[in-house]
Amino acid sequence: MNSLRRALALGLAAASLTFGAQAQAQNRELTVASSATYAPFAFENKDKQIVGFDIDIINAIAKQQGLKIKVVNTPFTGIFGALNNGDVDLVISGVTINEKRKQSYDFTPPYFAARQLIALPKNSTVTSLKDLTGKKIAVVSASTADDIASREFGKTSPNIRRFESTPLIISELAGGGVDAAMGDNGVIAYRVAQHAELKTLDDKSFPEEGFGIVVKKGDKALLDKLSAGLAAIRADGSYVTIYKKWFNKDPNVR
Amino acid sequence: MEQPVLLFGWFRWDILVEYKDLFWQGAWMTLRMTVVCVLLGASWGLCLALARLAQARHAPWTWLTRVFLRWPATVYVSFFRGTPLFVQILLIHFAVMPVFIHPSTGLLIDGDLARTLKQEHGALISGVVALTLNSAAYISEVFRAGIQSISRGQFDAGRSLGFSPAQVMRYVVLPQAFRRMLPPLGNNAIALLKDTSLVSAIGLAELAYAARTVAGAYARYWEPYLAISVVYWVMTLVLTTLLRRLEHRLARSDRG
Repeated sequence: MNSLRRALALGLAAASLTFGAQAQAQNRELTVASSATYAPFAFENKDKQIVGFDIDIINAIAKQQGLKIKVVNTPFTGIFGALNNGDVDLVISGVTINEKRKQSYDFTPPYFAARQLIALPKNSTVTSLKDLTGKKIAVVSASTADDIASREFGKTSPNIRRFESTPLIISELAGGGVDAAMGDNGVIAYRVAQHAELKTLDDKSFPEEGFGIVVKKGDKALLDKLSAGLAAIRADGSYVTIYKKWFNKDPNVR
Repeated sequence: MEQPVLLFGWFRWDILVEYKDLFWQGAWMTLRMTVVCVLLGASWGLCLALARLAQARHAPWTWLTRVFLRWPATVYVSFFRGTPLFVQILLIHFAVMPVFIHPSTGLLIDGDLARTLKQEHGALISGVVALTLNSAAYISEVFRAGIQSISRGQFDAGRSLGFSPAQVMRYVVLPQAFRRMLPPLGNNAIALLKDTSLVSAIGLAELAYAARTVAGAYARYWEPYLAISVVYWVMTLVLTTLLRRLEHRLARSDRG
């Protein structure tokens, strides 16, 4: 008799616990991973705050959808691992949407039109990606540029030099350690503008790509909210305001 | 590809196989770096230790040795022991090296030679320089302690037999000190072997670089990092065994 009562009480307690957890999950704070070495998309300002286009976009979406978010600085190499482990709920970090990644993660529609861009010394005679065959090329580990270079020149090619962040690949190029650096247009153009001895090359064969916000495969509830939020901020004009703030021109997509 | 399912059904051997070239090149690079840096670090470390121990009896030599040998060596050792190796690697590769070796503005080497050097061996050179400068600081302390542990009487005895101070050092003090220094030197070599992993930050394709590349490409961490852990472990085991043998041999020759 006694034990039956105890079992009942325990069951009730457990039920209320799970219920409580569920209720909390509804509007708990979401952790957003972004790699803050990616100006102007995400970088740390002098007050150690992570700022940038990506950050403004996710904040605008969160506000629009009534989500509580916290951005954590995560090295790009480990960003998908952090998402897999459940350390973070979503990623906004200049992540290019591609088929390979779509197999493992879910993406919102693109919030930024991106292309690859090659940075070269001013006197370089390279005019296309193909010209880089046999030359040293710096990329950010696990980036789209890494994928392209790996496909083009072989995954284990000693000519591909992988670094943790975009500033490092530009420094390596400026220091004469490589013949070229490759990365997303937004950041490469931004960094090359700081180096008089460098120029950019836009290979026409690079496909038009987009940056998307990433969630775990199958996290439909969150994905829908983010997509709806993105559509809403595009519709109400706040997207254009944010875009102009960081790129000083009108958006290049839609 | 046969997969040993019994223990590690989830373990993706295929991605290790796919990147095996990178792992082999990485292991070979790690090994070469370690050997080169141990040798260079020990030589430079001995110089530093001798500079720190330098003494002269008469002016102006007392003053000169102090200002030009003991003080710089002390500052050097304190700097390289007092700042993180990771920071030293980045500083040397991205700040110091471009000043001396740069295709257009290199003070020491420029033009095509600089371009070739930097592109073929840039990260290796910076890595070797950083690790050597750093390990020499630690090794010099081992040498200094070893030399100072030999009693003053040994030195005086050598002198009274008619040896010059340099000869006493060479034939009396250093051979005895070396036996005492061997275990800490071994520790140093093992630390160095593992510290080579930090050089992956400047794009040197050693073991940790290989693992980072695979982890980045597949967002999988067990396979690449467990694989390189085993390789590092095997390397340190071999090193430990070799050092123990050397210790035993020296102990035997001492007894007999």
